[in-house]
Amino acid sequence: MPPFVMPFGTSDWSAVLPLSVVALTPLLVLLLDLILPKAMRRGAAVTIAALGLIAGGLLALQGWGHPFAAFGGGFVNGGFTIVFEEVIVAGALISLLLATHLGRDDQSGGAIALLLWSASGAMLLAGAANLMTIFLGLELLSLALYCLCGLSSRPSAREASLKYLILSSTASGFMLYGMALLFGATGSVQLAALLAPPASTTLFTLGCGLFMIGFAFKLSLVPFHVWTPDVYEGAPLPVTAFMSIVTKAGALAVIARFAYAALPQPQAQAILIPLWILAALSMIAGNVAALAQTDMKRLLAYSGIAQLGYVVAALAGTTALGLRYAIFYLIAYMFMNLGAFAVVALLSREHEEGSRLSAFAGLGYRQPALAAAMTFFLMGLAGLPPTAGFIGKILILSSSVDAGYAWLAGVLIVGTAISAYVYFKIVRAMYARTTGADIQRAVKPASLLPWLGVGICAVAILVLGLYPVAPSDVLPLVK
Amino acid sequence: MPVDISYYVILSAVLFFIGVAGVILRRNPLIVLMSIELIFNAANLALVAFAREWSNNAGHIFAFLVITVAAAEAAIGLAIVVVVFRRSKNVDVDEVAGLRG
Repeated sequence: MPPFVMPFGTSDWSAVLPLSVVALTPLLVLLLDLILPKAMRRGAAVTIAALGLIAGGLLALQGWGHPFAAFGGGFVNGGFTIVFEEVIVAGALISLLLATHLGRDDQSGGAIALLLWSASGAMLLAGAANLMTIFLGLELLSLALYCLCGLSSRPSAREASLKYLILSSTASGFMLYGMALLFGATGSVQLAALLAPPASTTLFTLGCGLFMIGFAFKLSLVPFHVWTPDVYEGAPLPVTAFMSIVTKAGALAVIARFAYAALPQPQAQAILIPLWILAALSMIAGNVAALAQTDMKRLLAYSGIAQLGYVVAALAGTTALGLRYAIFYLIAYMFMNLGAFAVVALLSREHEEGSRLSAFAGLGYRQPALAAAMTFFLMGLAGLPPTAGFIGKILILSSSVDAGYAWLAGVLIVGTAISAYVYFKIVRAMYARTTGADIQRAVKPASLLPWLGVGICAVAILVLGLYPVAPSDVLPLVK
Repeated sequence: MPVDISYYVILSAVLFFIGVAGVILRRNPLIVLMSIELIFNAANLALVAFAREWSNNAGHIFAFLVITVAAAEAAIGLAIVVVVFRRSKNVDVDEVAGLRG
C-alpha cells in the first residue's frame, strides 16, 4: 500500500491565503457577536471585517510577479487574479463603510459575516481556472447574497430576495448544464482543456452558449438584466452597493479568463461575437431605461447595466490592451458608483433610504459639499473630464477601434450621449431653484462613516483621471 | 448490455428542459425551486455519464460538489420562501409583485 501523501503543498495554500483570510474573518466576527455587549457589536463587527479585508488585500499583493497554478490548475495566481482580488477587497471595504444601515443591531454580526463570505466567493472566482472552482466560487458568492438581500424590514426586501434567488439559481443551472456539456466535449474540467480542438463541436458550442448565458445574467447584460433594478431597489443599500461592484468583478474575471485564455484561437472570435452584441444592447437599453427612473437605486441599476456594457465592450477582439483598459474602467466605475451610493447613504434616515430622486431636490443649497461630491461622481459616470470615467471611455474607444470593432465604439458614443441626460437630470434637481414646500430639511446621517467613502471615491476618481495607470502584466492564465 | 451514452445525454437534456419549463410556467415558488433542482440534477446526470464515457473521475467529483451546493441552495431557498409567505395564506409568485419588474 503506498504511503499517504498530502496532495497539495504549501505553495498551493499560499495562493488561496488571501481569500482564506477573508473567509475565516467572519468566524471571529460571529464569535465577538456572542461575547460583546449589544451596543458595541456593530462597531466591532465592522472593524474586524475591515481589518480582515485589508489583511487579505495586502497578502494578495505579495503574490505579484510569480504567476503559478495551484491545486492542479484549479486556482491560478498571477497579475490578473491579484488585480481582481484587490478590486473585490476595495469594493467590499467601501460597502462596509455604508453598513450602518444593514439589518437590525442584533443581525449586524451575521450580516457582515455574510458580506465577507460573499466577497471570498468572488475572490475565488478571480483565480478560478477549472469549471468546479468557478461553480463553487459563484455559488458561495450568490448564496450569501440571497440572504443579504432580505435583510431589511421592508416587504420589498423580501420580495427582492425571492426574485434574486429564483432568477439567479436558474442562471446558475444554465451555466452548470453548459459546464456539463463542455466536460462532455473535452473530457476535462480544466479551462485549459478547452484550448484543444473539442471531440464534439455541437456539445462544445452548446456548452459555451449556456455558459455565457449564465454569466451574462450575473453581469446583468441586456436581455438578461430584468432582475437587476428590482433586486437593487429592494435590497438594503450597502448590499446593493456591494452587488453593483463585487459580483460584477467576480463574473467579469471569469468571462475575461474564458474569453482570453480558454478558447481555441481560430474559432474564439466567432464564439464571442454574441457577447459583444449583448454589450452593445446593454449600453443602449440600460441608458434608455435609466431615463424614466425616479428612484436613485433603480437609476444606478440601469446605469450599471450600461457601464458593464462599456467594460465588456473593451474586451472586444480580446486584445491585451483591451483587457488592461477594461480593468481600468472597472476600477473607475467602482469608485464612481460606490461614491454615488455613499451619497445616498448620507441622505438616508433611520427607517427610510434616501434613494428617491425627490431627496436630491435643492440639495445644492442644503448640503453644498455633498451635492458637489455627487455632481463629481455623476460627471464621472457620464464620462466628463477631469474624472477617471472620461479617460476610461477614451481608452475603451481607442482599443475597440484598434481591434476592428468600430461599430461598438459608435454604440458606446450614442450610449454616453443618452446617459449624459440621465445624470444631469439629477444635477439639475440638486441645483435648480425650487419654490414651495418641496424642500426637505437637511438629513442628519446615522453615521459619518459614509463620508469617508465619499472622500476616498472622490480622490480616487480625480487621481485616476489625472494620472491614468492601467495595470500591466494582467493577461489571464489557465495553467 | 452497455447502454449507449447518447441515451443518458438525451435523458439529461429532457430533464433540463422540463426544469426550465417548470421555472417559466409554474407559479408556486416551491415547484419553481423543485424545477431548479431538476436543472441541477440534469447537469449531474450529464456529468456522470460523460465521466464514464471519458473514464475521468472529475465528473463524479463535480456531481458530488453540485449535490452539496444544491442542498445548501435548497435550504436557503426554502427559508426565503417561508419568510416571504409567512403573512399570506396562499403561495404564489404572482402575489409578490410590489416591485415593478
